[in-house]
Amino acid sequence: MHIVKWAVVLSIFWLLLSGFIEPLLLSFGVISVVIVLFILKRMDRAENEPGQIGTSIRLIRYTPWLIGQVFSSAIHVTKLIWGSPDKVSPAIAKINVKDVPASSRVLYANSITLTPGTLSVDLDENEVTVHALHRSSIEELQEGQMEKKITGIWGENK
Amino acid sequence: MDFLDIVSSILLLAGVFFGLSGAVGLFRFPDFFTRIHAASVTDSIAAILIIGGLLLQTSFDLNTAKLVFILLFLLVTSPTASHALAKSARHGGLLTLAESSPQDKQESAK
Repeated sequence: MHIVKWAVVLSIFWLLLSGFIEPLLLSFGVISVVIVLFILKRMDRAENEPGQIGTSIRLIRYTPWLIGQVFSSAIHVTKLIWGSPDKVSPAIAKINVKDVPASSRVLYANSITLTPGTLSVDLDENEVTVHALHRSSIEELQEGQMEKKITGIWGENK
Repeated sequence: MDFLDIVSSILLLAGVFFGLSGAVGLFRFPDFFTRIHAASVTDSIAAILIIGGLLLQTSFDLNTAKLVFILLFLLVTSPTASHALAKSARHGGLLTLAESSPQDKQESAK
């Protein structure tokens, strides 16, 4: 079933990237989609966890909030860059991610890295090691606003 | 149309400013990990602003879709690259400033 979904997604993707509606180029598109589907089918045999698509609605709910976070923390880091370098007080800490669903932990670590000022250095079973430009960012992460947002959006069906 | 142009140039200029800040921070910050933070300013907010500004310059056709794709891929790949850099530095034994500077002070106290 997910092969059909992927066929649709890949075809739309190819059409958006190409934009040419000529028989020759369209047939190239069909060939490349078929090759990718063939590889997907073979990979399913190696791994029994078919790639899920359909989380996009959740992503649409999450992305604007994340971009807001990126903006506020980028302004904070920019102030540090143009200010005096002595104000930089890097800190490193481990943050517990037991409450975050396992499938969303990569997203959580990537969100931490994407917001300037915090950087996920390592991801273990239950902990993310976070390096921050300023101790206050780590305290903010430990308060768990981002964690709550992610578990709120992705944790519903668990 | 004029209004869109103004908004777009504001976004582009802000993006350029943040990109420049990232580059300056790359030189001003003291160690490897803090420099990654400076680079991530360019990665994240400058990319969002510049592509946002370019989006308003398109006539909402295929190019718009392509720019959105570029933005999505950048938002996924750039933190992954930063994480890979930081992780390999950490596993290679590079200490952060917070961990290495107290030792320096102790050594100088001796």
